[in-house]
Amino acid sequence: MPDTVPQTGSYMVAAYIVAAVILVGYAIVLARRARRS
Amino acid sequence: MRELVRHAWLVARKDLRVEFRSRTALTSALVFTALVLVVFEYGRDPTAVPTIDLAPSILWVTFSFAAILALNRAFQAELENDTLEGLLLAPISRSSLFWGKLAANLVFVALVQVTGLVLFTLFFNVPVWRVWWPLAAVMALASVGFIAVGTLFSAMVVRTRFAELMLPVLVLPFLLPPLIAAVTITAKLFGGRPLSEVAGWLRLLAAYDVTFVTLATLLFPATVSE
Amino acid sequence: MTTGRIGRWMTVIGLLLLAVVYVRALKFTPLEASQGLAQKIFYVHVPAAWSAMLAMGLVGLASILFLFLRDERYDRFAAASAEVGTVFCLIMLMTGPLWARPVWGTWWTWDARLTLTLMLFFIFIGYQLLRGVIPESALRAQYAAVVGICGLVLLPFIHLSVYFFRTLHPQPIILKPSAPSAPPEMVTTLLMSFGVFTLLYIGFVVQRYALGTEGRVDA
Repeated sequence: MPDTVPQTGSYMVAAYIVAAVILVGYAIVLARRARRS
Repeated sequence: MRELVRHAWLVARKDLRVEFRSRTALTSALVFTALVLVVFEYGRDPTAVPTIDLAPSILWVTFSFAAILALNRAFQAELENDTLEGLLLAPISRSSLFWGKLAANLVFVALVQVTGLVLFTLFFNVPVWRVWWPLAAVMALASVGFIAVGTLFSAMVVRTRFAELMLPVLVLPFLLPPLIAAVTITAKLFGGRPLSEVAGWLRLLAAYDVTFVTLATLLFPATVSE
Repeated sequence: MTTGRIGRWMTVIGLLLLAVVYVRALKFTPLEASQGLAQKIFYVHVPAAWSAMLAMGLVGLASILFLFLRDERYDRFAAASAEVGTVFCLIMLMTGPLWARPVWGTWWTWDARLTLTLMLFFIFIGYQLLRGVIPESALRAQYAAVVGICGLVLLPFIHLSVYFFRTLHPQPIILKPSAPSAPPEMVTTLLMSFGVFTLLYIGFVVQRYALGTEGRVDA
């Protein structure tokens, strides 16, 4: 076991942001496609 | 049952005759094989990388290409000459048509693979003789399932736009399991490993083949009906 | 309320709950000492995997039902599920390497899960490309169903072959990024995340299905 915890926070932030962007982005895309008639 | 076999044989024979008259696909497959062998030979440092380490990859790149090439030509001729409708109107069952196509594709692939293997043995100093029959078994088993799916897909794809692009895209994921198994088994065979080590992989290949040949036979009618 | 609006509401609620899960995962779930903060990607990556697999499973099921029952609603559902599945696959494919890099030292590894996801992604893409090049709806539905069924049957084989390959070639991996004996807070967060991702899957599919019904998209 390592003595100190590895500093991997930036990867976590990036991953959480990517996931949120994709999910929110897709929701927006779907809503806009519905509006276009 | 005998009708099925007879009709399938007729379809296969027609396909093979057409191919041997034009020989375009066969020629390009063989040229590609030679190209791959040359590239691998000159691309390595013989003191650092023994051929035997690269052998499975070289062989299976070549064999995969042969398989995809075979699939590309599967329905091409029918489409070009507008003979597909005639074929569908003929008094043969859909299954016969599928099995005939499958058989022709397998013969084509077998030819290119055997030629590729012979060329490989000539140019590279890898002891193939010792393991020739397990190797032949792997080549056959790894090709059957994948070609069955490919034959099924090429029947659909040939009627769409961008057919030449669609087929490799659709068929790629189906190449992975047989390819992984085949390369692993080939590596073990060349490495002199006992056959018991590859038994599990061979079973996986067999299961894959049975599953997809059955599935393709069942689904084929859906690809050629209106 | 129209189908589309129901879907939109479900999605909005899902996204709000996602924010809740995020907060819980980031602030209220214990840190894993050997991987650091990157381990928390687990709470996003694994539920996305679940949604992607669910999507593929339902595409396959809907395809079988379509071929037997010839009801075009099954086809419309399959098209919706495939598109949504692609989105979740994309999340997996992006969060996976972001997790792998700090933990395993490499962006990509041909391990069972990542390879399966990549192939699943190709199946979804191929499925939708095929739909895109067939203008006649009846033929499109039929051909798509064939590919959908084959894709579903393929998945266990991909998993098996990559898994066997991996177990026989030990990797320079320090640890498996799953939590075998995880503290209860981690399990709860994970389960909450599963729930949210399932809700999002349903919300997305309902919306996408509605688009197909209203003729706004070619199914």
